[in-house]
Amino acid sequence: MSKVPITKAASNNLESSPKYAPVRALKQRYTRQNLIAVAILVALAILIPLLPQVKGWMLSQVSLVIIYIIAAMGVAVLVGFTGLVSVGHGGFLAIGAYTSALLTKYFGVDLIIGLISAMFVSAFLGALLAVVFVRLSGAFMAIGTLGFAFFVGTVVNNVSIFEGRDGIFLDNNVILGIRIEDFGFYYTSVASLLLVTLAVYCLVNSGTGRAFMALRDSENAAKASGVNRLLYRVLAFAISAGITGIAGALNAHVVNYVSAEVYADIWYSVDILIAVVVGGPAILFGPYLGGIFVVMLPFFLERLADFSFILKGVVLIAVLRFAPAGVGELILRPLRIARRRKLRSVAAGLRESEVG
Amino acid sequence: MLGQLILSGIATGSLYALTAIAVVLVFRNTRTINLAQGDFAMVGAFLGIYFLKQLGFSYYTTVLLVVASTTLLGVAVEWLIMRPIAKSDWLTLFTATIGVFYILTGVMGWIWGRDTKAFPVNFDPTPIDLGGALISMGHLYNIGWALAIGVVLYWFFNHTKQGIAMRAVTDDPEIAHLMGIPVKFIVMLTWGVAGFIAGFVGILIAPIIYVSPEMMDEVLVKAYVAAVFGGLYSIRGAVIGALMIGVAENLAGGYLDSSLKTSTAFIMIVVLLAFRPQGLIGVQKRREI
Repeated sequence: MSKVPITKAASNNLESSPKYAPVRALKQRYTRQNLIAVAILVALAILIPLLPQVKGWMLSQVSLVIIYIIAAMGVAVLVGFTGLVSVGHGGFLAIGAYTSALLTKYFGVDLIIGLISAMFVSAFLGALLAVVFVRLSGAFMAIGTLGFAFFVGTVVNNVSIFEGRDGIFLDNNVILGIRIEDFGFYYTSVASLLLVTLAVYCLVNSGTGRAFMALRDSENAAKASGVNRLLYRVLAFAISAGITGIAGALNAHVVNYVSAEVYADIWYSVDILIAVVVGGPAILFGPYLGGIFVVMLPFFLERLADFSFILKGVVLIAVLRFAPAGVGELILRPLRIARRRKLRSVAAGLRESEVG
Repeated sequence: MLGQLILSGIATGSLYALTAIAVVLVFRNTRTINLAQGDFAMVGAFLGIYFLKQLGFSYYTTVLLVVASTTLLGVAVEWLIMRPIAKSDWLTLFTATIGVFYILTGVMGWIWGRDTKAFPVNFDPTPIDLGGALISMGHLYNIGWALAIGVVLYWFFNHTKQGIAMRAVTDDPEIAHLMGIPVKFIVMLTWGVAGFIAGFVGILIAPIIYVSPEMMDEVLVKAYVAAVFGGLYSIRGAVIGALMIGVAENLAGGYLDSSLKTSTAFIMIVVLLAFRPQGLIGVQKRREI
């Protein structure tokens, strides 16, 4: 009996046989490495407030990190998994923030309701915008979305209900009738982040997620396999906008204040995009690393705001040059190499037993 | 009133047009949407203040020095930052220019501070009568400069070896390379031309909008929109788009509501992209990116 060539199809068949249980186990373990990294980071997020230094302003900074991670998660769905680029997600941040802020101000709604409605309003507007934008090729879409962020900025600056640069002050945050303080809010953010991460993980591993990735990797092949391009791209854009909308709502409530001063700034959008690119767009925990980078860098260099700008630029360029798939990839690469080596040795062992 | 609004719209539009030309030039030769284009001009404006105030140079010496320095800046950015990653996908190239943007903003803020500064040369508001429509001297002056730069660029692209080579690289970098055109040098030159244009834009726009690290943000977004009018590929389209934006936003500001002025560009781009995603001026896009 000659050697069985392990082609892709053959290995797929073989994989379902009980003999290949060790290979399967290995594969499963390594697709879980993303989840393990996320679990570590979330555990860190839960434990951080136990440090005595973390309170008051410091705590709101840590909340800000969580908010940025959520926003970056939204962009990562688009950039990393669907292959579309948005430079305008600051616009959705603003939409989420103002949706929740106005609902809280005029109807006194619960924070949870605020977050959920921010998500839906943002997702809906995202879908509308996407119908125009997703037909464009990359560069055009980037410019179009940048224009969108700019547009949202001028709207909140000039339309009277948004109260422009004076801003809207909000009451304390309430969940289920209970007033929550800083710590309560922080854990609300962490819970939102956890839910968003799980949702993204499930999405990426679902048929819909595979359709997104097929569109990213080869548009023509995806089309030939019956993936509806417009539908899935609009869906991806809506999901992405919805997630960033949640982040926007949290961003409004972390300081209980929204103002055009903050949301008219189009560089918010750029910051979110950078968080995704630095962390690693197609890696589940990439936005975590990116969010920490984007928020904590100016924080540590508080007195040297300009220097933090320079450093941000230098780090970004260095990452693009030396780790184009993001910092997350640098962490995953050794694991991936180890996995390949192990798989190969297991396969070699199996092949020998078959030949014998 | 109408003529006046159109004329001053053309004056602002001509500055958008210059920036848009630079954006198109860099994009079509290197697939890079240059987010730092505005910052090149911002650096130019800061250097202008420095040369005029601190060193006491005359205006024309200053223009010369500023344009020389921004040209060098463009070349340096290409050489140090863009060249090593030139083969990457467009998103990487784009985010790299975001990095350049941050570095330039940081450096300028570090040296000269974040607050806005007045440019030592004033905008000349003397009204000039042009067949019934009044236009200020400063606007007329800007249109004149923009026209002059346009003529220089036209001459460069049609009558110099380097300019023609640059167009050849635009058409097909591989064939250009086979024909013996030093593509790398031409790409570097492209960034140099982008810097050259930015130097003028910085000097011309500084008296109108004051000088600060963020001064160019709005102009840049509008220049992008203008560039999209030409499909990010046609210079003529970009110029027409820029003038249209300048005029349209002035009309919207004059007749409708001043708060609408800045949103005009976005509304125009959405309408344009919804109906003609390839740009207004019918250019066949050669490369899908």
